[in-house]
Amino acid sequence: MIAIGLEGSANKLGVGIISHPGPGKPAQVLSNIRDTFNAPPGEGFLPKDTAKHHRSWFVRLVKQAMIEAKVSTRDIDCICYTKGPGMGAPLQSVAVGARMLSLLWEKELVGVNHCVGHIEMGREITGAHNPVVLYVSGGNTQVIAYAEQRYRIFGEALDIAVGNCLDRFARTLEISNDPAPGYNIEQLAKKGKVLLDLPYAVKGMDCSFSGILACIDILAADLKANPNWRDPITNEVITTADLCFSLQETVYAMLVEITERAMAHVGSSQVLIVGGVGSNERLQQMMGLMARDRGGSVFATDERFCIDNGIMIAHAGLVAYKTGFRTPLEESTCTQRFRTDEVFVNWRD
Amino acid sequence: MALLQTVQLEHLPQSHSIHIALYRNLQNAAFLQQQLLEGNTDYEYALIDASVIVSKIHALAAVYRAVNDLLANRLRSRNVHSEIVFSLSPNNNISESFRRFGIQPTTTSLLLIKVSTPTSETSPSDLSSRLSTQIQGDAVPFTDEEIGTMTDLGRVRKIYKLNVPGGGGKKKDGNTAEERREMEMLILGAMALRGATN
Amino acid sequence: METPTVPPEPIVSQTSSTPANLPQILTYPSKTPPQLITQGAEALLYKSTYLLPTLPCALKYRPSKPYRHPILDVRLTKHRILAEARVLVKCRKEGVPVPAVYALDESKGWLCIEWIEGEVVRIRLNEWLRRRKEAGTEEGSEEEELVDLMGRIGSAVGKMHGVGIVHGDLTTSNLMLRPWAKGVMNGHSSEDGKGILEGEIVLIDFGLASQSTADEDRAVDLYVLERAFGSTHPRAESLLKEMLTAYGKSFKGANVVLKKLEDVRMRGRKRSMLG
Repeated sequence: MIAIGLEGSANKLGVGIISHPGPGKPAQVLSNIRDTFNAPPGEGFLPKDTAKHHRSWFVRLVKQAMIEAKVSTRDIDCICYTKGPGMGAPLQSVAVGARMLSLLWEKELVGVNHCVGHIEMGREITGAHNPVVLYVSGGNTQVIAYAEQRYRIFGEALDIAVGNCLDRFARTLEISNDPAPGYNIEQLAKKGKVLLDLPYAVKGMDCSFSGILACIDILAADLKANPNWRDPITNEVITTADLCFSLQETVYAMLVEITERAMAHVGSSQVLIVGGVGSNERLQQMMGLMARDRGGSVFATDERFCIDNGIMIAHAGLVAYKTGFRTPLEESTCTQRFRTDEVFVNWRD
Repeated sequence: MALLQTVQLEHLPQSHSIHIALYRNLQNAAFLQQQLLEGNTDYEYALIDASVIVSKIHALAAVYRAVNDLLANRLRSRNVHSEIVFSLSPNNNISESFRRFGIQPTTTSLLLIKVSTPTSETSPSDLSSRLSTQIQGDAVPFTDEEIGTMTDLGRVRKIYKLNVPGGGGKKKDGNTAEERREMEMLILGAMALRGATN
Repeated sequence: METPTVPPEPIVSQTSSTPANLPQILTYPSKTPPQLITQGAEALLYKSTYLLPTLPCALKYRPSKPYRHPILDVRLTKHRILAEARVLVKCRKEGVPVPAVYALDESKGWLCIEWIEGEVVRIRLNEWLRRRKEAGTEEGSEEEELVDLMGRIGSAVGKMHGVGIVHGDLTTSNLMLRPWAKGVMNGHSSEDGKGILEGEIVLIDFGLASQSTADEDRAVDLYVLERAFGSTHPRAESLLKEMLTAYGKSFKGANVVLKKLEDVRMRGRKRSMLG
């Protein structure tokens, strides 16, 4: 079976076409393309502008995806789209597009939870059967473990997502948002060495990032006002690279910690990292060290699947479709708030 | 004649053993304290006023802390013996701890502890004969029963701030075994934290 | 499977009981060798003895974490050992059922506390549920034991909150059931086969606890426990209200916390989720 997936919950518009050849055979990515809307440095992307971007790129990407996949509308079994969670206007734009295709091609719709899309794609690509999942992106930070037909949220960010924290700090530092603010923070952090004392906010299975963001913003302002600020121990001048380094080391340690807690509680040794922040090498490295220390392993996908994309929507949608799940036109709404554990995962036991 | 007890504490190297003696009716407290103040190496012992000790475990906990700190090279006082006295303290005031727990001219019950280390070995028989001339008092076995009769509960409660109103809703006259044990538990905690409260 | 004097949880990972995971003090001799009880996320727990072979203790050791920056690691370890000890001492002083603190060494990363006999609620609860499933007992029937347990949990948590401590990691793995003291049955029956949920609740693992009287913090504490039930014992979730009712009676101001809990639950669901 073949499905087309349409994703646009944030600033990435993705179209993917996936084939499920048959039971026991792995899924095949027929095409997976994406266009990202970037705000200028120092700014974040606004819903209105993002929706505009998605509307102007939708048809182009769908056509291109069909050509690359070498499929015709006849071959498509269903049209999968991101029902939520995400930003209102961008989600709507893509939903409208999905409904249009559904009516035009006379194919049924499948509304997909964005987080579940990440999880299912991650499982498929990496082969990790039942890992604890760390889902980290600009809009989400959750530690998830599967139990009894739900992806249960074990721990999460209590205030803002870790990606949001990193993105906003990128804005503070006014570094480029292209290809992604988090990527640029990562590169800058590689040049840092001083570990500053930042608030470490893990509360049980959850964590919180607004405190550390407030703190690092203040430090950035201090640094700007006093470029000769030196580290009292090494006497080296502190740089923005050190700020990025300290921020990463601290927030990633927090994420690894809450993931480890979940693993200990559930008795699992496998971790799967999904979501845009999952493409960060340092996070993968830290998670790997933790997993190995527990006699387990970490699974991660590359930027094709980590970062928001259409193929994950196609995959998760097709998996649900095969169990009989449909989203009738009247119900093909989208919603900004859609908890991962609201989805009935009946394709797993 | 001293009734010396040699104890090998759990989780300390074999090379470090502890010798303990307990005395009632101490006659030469002032003299002994003087030896300590003068740093007389023949009297390198932990000399503790037993009226502020509630049990064997209480005393041994202080010993463990002191020896552990010795092994980690972080003694805060002159030597491991003075460190034992300091380790009884709920705070970091060393001189205060000597006043509260160490031998005073008024001390009548004495707990004496000697740590034998690789660099300063002491055999029980040597120690025993030395003590019989050095300490003028009645040697008794180092047991909870004996210690129990020596304890000044009021002082102990004051030092460790154990008079907490509404604590578990129990009457605190500290005389039942259960209440003593609970007191001991709270004391161990206070010693472990030593000043790092909040 | 009656209440054995066996470790409360099975050893999780064999590869980790290497010397690298033993604090130095446990490498010194003792009459009985230390026994690894559990490897949690943050620390290893050993059963050993303190001072004398007759005094069992639990030794919590926080090894350094390879993934953390060394400076961050040392800072966190020290802070957590001391914070946990402080909280335990305060609780014990006020009569909250927790292990007593025996000794600690924050630079070496260990904390030595009173050994509590018994097992964690998580294990007992799963066993109880399993037995009922096996016996074909209908869900929702004959649940007095569970109702009673939930009540005891609510009371213990309430008592802790009442003295200004918030646990920070309330899960069913951090609640122990200690056998009632001899002669103290508190009206509980002890028929053979039943009684698996019996015992005094003892709160353990205060590694993330803090001193707080804020309703928000207390509500989050309860929320974490709720979610823990939801995640690992979904079949017991329906009886959470029994726990909360007992909590509501446990200290003055508990009802305000219960109100706050509703907010926390809603907030959990309305958190903005983008991309």
